[in-house]
Amino acid sequence: MTAILRHEFRLNLKSLLIWALSVGGMGFLCILMYTSMEGEVADMADMFSNMGAFSDAFGMSTLSIATLSGFFATEVGTVHGLGSAMFAAIMATVLLSKEEDAHTGEFLYSLPVSRSRIVIAKGLALLLHLIAFTLICGALYVLGFAALKEDVPWDGFLTLMGRMLFMNLEISAIAILISACSAKNRIGLGLGLSLMFYAYDLIGRVIPDMKDYLFLGPFAAANASEILSGKDEPAKALITAAVISLAALVSAFMIYTQKDLAS
Amino acid sequence: MTDVIRIEGLTKSYGKKRGVTNVGLSVKEGEIYGFIGPNGAGKSTTIRSMLGFLNYEKGCISVFGKDSRKEHTAILKDIGYMPSEAMFYPSMKVSEVIRFAADVRGLDCRKEAEMLCEKLKLDTGKKIKELSLGNRKKVSIVCAMQHKPKLFVFDEPSSGLDPLMQNTFFELIKEYVKEGTTCFLSTHVLSEVSRYCDRAAVMREGKLIKEDSVENLTESSAKNIKVTVDGEHKEYIYNGDINELIRELSVKKLENLYIEEPSLEDMFMHFYEEGNKGGME
Repeated sequence: MTAILRHEFRLNLKSLLIWALSVGGMGFLCILMYTSMEGEVADMADMFSNMGAFSDAFGMSTLSIATLSGFFATEVGTVHGLGSAMFAAIMATVLLSKEEDAHTGEFLYSLPVSRSRIVIAKGLALLLHLIAFTLICGALYVLGFAALKEDVPWDGFLTLMGRMLFMNLEISAIAILISACSAKNRIGLGLGLSLMFYAYDLIGRVIPDMKDYLFLGPFAAANASEILSGKDEPAKALITAAVISLAALVSAFMIYTQKDLAS
Repeated sequence: MTDVIRIEGLTKSYGKKRGVTNVGLSVKEGEIYGFIGPNGAGKSTTIRSMLGFLNYEKGCISVFGKDSRKEHTAILKDIGYMPSEAMFYPSMKVSEVIRFAADVRGLDCRKEAEMLCEKLKLDTGKKIKELSLGNRKKVSIVCAMQHKPKLFVFDEPSSGLDPLMQNTFFELIKEYVKEGTTCFLSTHVLSEVSRYCDRAAVMREGKLIKEDSVENLTESSAKNIKVTVDGEHKEYIYNGDINELIRELSVKKLENLYIEEPSLEDMFMHFYEEGNKGGME
């Protein structure tokens, strides 16, 4: 199993580095942009925080965009949320199906390892990738704060990165279920799914009637503005995410270990 | 000799599409067993059921006396499988793929792999995406043989290999078989079966229509008749009384007559033509 885990980790290392450095790099640049935009942002901050539902949707009503924390939550929170969700969805949607899609399955499955062990090894490799992605991006954001000689709001920052990871895990679990059901890579479906979840969260924050159902989406507990302002109440969303993730993973495991493998 | 593979009443369908129906065969220890049939006859379905890739509806398969469903991981430890499509991870080097296959088995196969790569003239420094089909087939051969398994399962192994490499490949098989390995060879190249196999089974439209020694398959009472009468040439397999045939032919004005032992190719075609008439079931 270790050999498969190592193999799977190495196979996707390039994608991990490209995605982590791109998303983390964008976040890093956003942080650096803060000083050059500080004056202009301060002028716009009042206007941004009084745009009603739109301000709520982007968290600008809870944290002032004129502060680095507020700017970080609004800009980097969005970039990292969307970027990491897309990365998680892409990696997980092809996690199992890629062997059948690329016809490498007959080679892999002819080796003396049970399918359940293969699924576990692949799942663990994905988990390590997501953790590495979060660490690389997190390190780049800390570098951004250091470059501006500003203190990192550690409590909020670590909570945010942890919640983002948790959100990525839920999206991955759902995408793994898609992967288990399919003999073809469905990257488009995975990407669409992550964008749909993001849109669901955004709409849920704009439309008052939908606020009660916001906890159902993976992004609910990973809102940067709420976390950094200490105004989040994540329990319901986290429990829901855990239940959905577990159900998706168990279903994926059952389906994949029982199904006929396409040639 | 004990049965290395025993398949009884194997039935597998793909929804409404035919897979295989009531297939039964046995492969003895130390033999090279040919599995013949055209594309779509059900050869790969049988193999994939045997290796645990497919769930079958009916029947039972045992390999080394172990149930293929319950103990499929234990069975795979002693099998060297070469699929018809030699597909590997494109970004990996040949050496990495070979090492990965050995690592998963928890074995150090470097010595054997080196010997095989040398015999097959395989450049292990190249990436998989740079290889031709023939070279990918060589990687597949090394991965199937490096751990010296008790059983080879080869699905169309020689396609893509040049004649020289085909010869090297079969020489390798013979060497391993001499040391006690059994070989299950699925192919539609009949000359390979007649040259290398001890016994063979013929598949047609998902059913096994004949299983016998290669000798018996070709040396039956059937004869290959080539006759030219009144400028018209005919070729067919005759399965009846040879005296009756001579009597029939003697009343005609013959220009040419050949009565030969049928080749495996002739027998194979005969099975199929008979099958199409519904007479070989």
